[in-house]
Amino acid sequence: MNEEKESKLVSLLAARRSEAFWRRQKAGILRAAVEERGPRRAWLLAPAAALAALLVLVLVRNPSQPVLDEPQAVSAAFIEHLDLLDDMDVLEAVPEEEL
Amino acid sequence: MENVKKTGPEGLAGTDPESAFALLIEEQQRLVYSVALRLTGNTAAAEDITQETFIAAWRHIKDFRGESSLKTWLMRIAANKTRSYWRWKRLRSWVGLSDKGEDGEGAALEDLLPDDPAGRPEQAALAAELERRVQSAINALPPRQREVAVLRAQGLGLAEIGAALGMAEGTVKAHWFEARKKLGASLGEYL
Repeated sequence: MNEEKESKLVSLLAARRSEAFWRRQKAGILRAAVEERGPRRAWLLAPAAALAALLVLVLVRNPSQPVLDEPQAVSAAFIEHLDLLDDMDVLEAVPEEEL
Repeated sequence: MENVKKTGPEGLAGTDPESAFALLIEEQQRLVYSVALRLTGNTAAAEDITQETFIAAWRHIKDFRGESSLKTWLMRIAANKTRSYWRWKRLRSWVGLSDKGEDGEGAALEDLLPDDPAGRPEQAALAAELERRVQSAINALPPRQREVAVLRAQGLGLAEIGAALGMAEGTVKAHWFEARKKLGASLGEYL
């Protein structure tokens, strides 16, 4: 691409707006400077929001396992063994001395 | 650039700060807005980024050490704010908040109209079509090439672009070479 074409390309990329637009924008910036203490644009908080989202993701993917109390675990195992008692044939097959 | 230097920190010493700020906006708003518009393709976002860039510059003008030109410094702020904008867009998209209803995908017609009332309808239509084609060609570039091309279009040298975007000058040169080739192919009829 020669220099003439390059300078044409460069001029094409500039934003063309009316003078009224530039005046309006300048007034808006000056007004915003006065009100600077006001709330910021939400997307400027993107880094903080991204961190929060990551934290949520990590928590969702690795939920902390509920800690079971030891007595509960023993109780569950005990109940399972009790279920075996339903099979009376087993009980009857065990010699009395072993019971 | 002489005028720009007047609005730097050293120029503020003997000037009313508000007048100096107004002068800075007057001189640089077209440049900052053009960069924001071409990098986002969204007029509402470009206006927001332009405003935030100047507010940030005003807030931190005391920290400006003059190692680069004021123009490069403003470009760096604008480029960073544009990157924040895209991060925010990606985050919204990631959590399922699409921007389909978002305003600002096109410029208001009255802003594209020439100031001279003569021949308005035809000129407005041509301006709108050109705007659409240019933005579409820029949007088709990969992000880094887009940033380099947009800053190059604002008259920044390769070293200045490198300083603004945090890239080596050789990398900037390579990106500009590729971007220029692609833009030339897309917009050939206007060149």
